[in-house]
Amino acid sequence: MSQVLCNILHKTALIQLEEKFRHLIISNNQLIRNKSINLPRPRLRNPTWLTKKHRSLEPNFLTQENKEFLKEVVSDKYQNIQPQSVINTNIEWNSKLKRTGLICKKIGVYPMWLQNGKKISTTLIQVLDNHVVKYISPEEHNPPRKRIEKIINKKGCLIIGAEAADPFLFTKEYCGIFKGSGVIPKKFLARFFVSPEAVLPPGTLLTAMHFPVGHYVDIRGKTTDRGFQGVMKRHGFKGMPASHGVTKTHRRPGNIGGGGEKGRVWPGTKMPGHMGNRYRISRGLKIWRINTKYNVLWVSGQAIPGETNSLVYVYDSLVPSKKPTEPLPFPTFLHGDELPEDIYDKEVHSFEGPSILFDESK
Amino acid sequence: MINTTKNFVKLKTFKVFNFRNVYRSCSTEASLNNTNEEENATQEGFKKSFAEYRHIYPEFLPDPEVKLRNVIREKLERKDMIARRSQIAIPEFYVGSILSVTTSDPHSPGKSETFVGICIKREGCGLRAKFILRNVIDHEGIEVLYEMYDPTIQKIKVLRLEKRLDDELLYLRDALPEYSTFDPNMEPELLVEGAPVPVNSLKVKLKPRPWVDRWERKNLQGVQDIDLPERFWVKAAKVATPWEKYDLMKIYKKTIPAEEQRKYTMKSNHNCKS
Repeated sequence: MSQVLCNILHKTALIQLEEKFRHLIISNNQLIRNKSINLPRPRLRNPTWLTKKHRSLEPNFLTQENKEFLKEVVSDKYQNIQPQSVINTNIEWNSKLKRTGLICKKIGVYPMWLQNGKKISTTLIQVLDNHVVKYISPEEHNPPRKRIEKIINKKGCLIIGAEAADPFLFTKEYCGIFKGSGVIPKKFLARFFVSPEAVLPPGTLLTAMHFPVGHYVDIRGKTTDRGFQGVMKRHGFKGMPASHGVTKTHRRPGNIGGGGEKGRVWPGTKMPGHMGNRYRISRGLKIWRINTKYNVLWVSGQAIPGETNSLVYVYDSLVPSKKPTEPLPFPTFLHGDELPEDIYDKEVHSFEGPSILFDESK
Repeated sequence: MINTTKNFVKLKTFKVFNFRNVYRSCSTEASLNNTNEEENATQEGFKKSFAEYRHIYPEFLPDPEVKLRNVIREKLERKDMIARRSQIAIPEFYVGSILSVTTSDPHSPGKSETFVGICIKREGCGLRAKFILRNVIDHEGIEVLYEMYDPTIQKIKVLRLEKRLDDELLYLRDALPEYSTFDPNMEPELLVEGAPVPVNSLKVKLKPRPWVDRWERKNLQGVQDIDLPERFWVKAAKVATPWEKYDLMKIYKKTIPAEEQRKYTMKSNHNCKS
C-alpha cells in the first residue's frame, strides 16, 4: 500500500517538474519568436484517441452465405441509432456558450437572387450523416500539445463521425472508438470544442437544422493542392514585361533583397514554393437557404476552401460583428414536427415565386 | 398547402417539357393550354423527343468538367430550374435566333424594358446559363447579357427561330451594321408544327481591320471571303491546330458523349415526373 502511494507521489512530483521545465523552455522560445515570421507548419500530432483506421483486406475465406449473414448482423445492429441518454434541453442559449460544429461536404456553387433583384453566388454544403460518437470532459481532455497559460472556462470536446461505412473495412481498434455509442463505424471523425453545457449523448443525430437560416458560420477546409508554384500564381506578383528587350525573365520575382547592412535574404520573403493543400478558414458566411430533405446549406460566397466534393467543417461564426441576435437551438435542433423541404431567408427570392416587379411605392 | 403547390409545379413542368411544338410557334401564352399531344404520344415518340431535348435544353446537361459534378447538387439545381420554368416559359432558341426579352428594372420602378436582338452567344450550364443579345439602335451597336433564370426577367419571346452556320456569332461586332440591325417592333414569325429548325446560310461581310479578334484564324463559315494580305494567312496556317479534331481525349473532356446525354435527359425527366 505504502509502495503504491510512494509511486503516485513520485509520479506527481515528476509531472510537476516536467511542467515547470516545459514552461521555461517554451517561454524562452516565445521570446525569440516574437517577430511574426513565416515559420514552418507545426508537425501534425494526432489526438490520443485516434488509432490506425484501415486494415489490409486479406482473403478471409468466408463463404457467400457467411458474408450475407455478417451483413445482416451489421444491418440489424445499426438499424436505428438512438441517443444513449436524454438530451438536456433546459439550458437557454447565451453568447458565452459554444455549440458543436458539423462535418460537411462542399458540393458546388450556383447563383441565387435576392428580393431586390440582386444576384448572389452561393456555395452548397451538404451536411453528412453526423452522429455524436464520444464526449471528452474538460478534466479528461489531455491534448498532446499543452498550453502554458492556465485556461479559464475549459471546454470539453465532442467527437463526431460522418459517412457510415462497412465495419469490415476498418481495424478492430478503430471500431473500438464507436463501441459504447451504438453508432455504426464512420469514415470521417472530427473533434469540436464545446462548453460542458452543450454536451450531447452519443448516438445523437445532427442535421442541417443545427444552423438556422440567416445565421453566420465559419467554414474550415483544405485548399486545392496546386503543387510547386511560381511567384506570380502563389503571391500575385506582376512579373516582368512580355517585350521591350526583356529576356528569360517574364514570370520571375526580380529583386529579393537589399544590399549593405541588410545584404541578405530576409526571413519571410515571398518566393516560389508549394501552394495549397493547407487548412484555411473562411469566416462570417451567411446561410441563405436550407434544404431539409437532402440536408443542404446554401452559404454565401464561392471561395470556400477545398475542391467540389471535398470535406469541410462548419461551426458558428467567431466574428464578433456576426454573432447571432436571436437564440440558437441549444444544444442542437431536435426534430419534432415535419418541416418544409426548403427554408429561405427573408431577403431571398424563391425560384417557385413569381417574377420580381419593382413597385413605385418602394 | 405545401403538397398542393408542389403538385401544381409538377403538372406545369410536365407540360413545359412536352409541348415543344407549341413553343416552336414562338408564342409564350398559348403554350400551357394544349393537352392532346401528350395522350397521343407513343413510347417511341417519347424516346425520340428525349433525344432532341439535349439540343433544346442544353443547360440541363451536367457540367462538362467532371470534377465539378455532384449528383445531389444537380438534382437541386434542376429542381430550381424547373420551378423557375413553371413561372415563365423559356422557349427553345439557338445562336442566330431573334429574341425579345422583357425585364423589370429597379431604376425605373413600375415599368418594364424590352430589348430585341439576335442571340450571338449562349453558354453556361445549370442556373448559370446565359445568352447575349445584339442589336444596332440609333447607329450604335448594343449588346445585353441576360441570365436565363434571372427572376427579374418577365418574358422571353422568340421572334424568329433559326440557326446560323457558326456556334458563336461574335464576329457580328466587326461586321457591317446592317447584319445586326433588327426592328424593335418586329412581329413573331410562325413555323409549321413539327418542322425542323431552319438554318440560315447567310454570309456576313466584315468591315476592314482593326477587329476585336483575329477572325481569319477561326475558320468561320458564315463570313464572306476576307480580304487580307498574304502574311495574315501564312501566320494563320502556322498557328492552326488541324490535328485537334483527331484528339479524341480532348473532345471527350470538353463535351459529354451522346449516349450519356441521352441517359441524363431520361433521368432528369424521370426525376421531375416522380
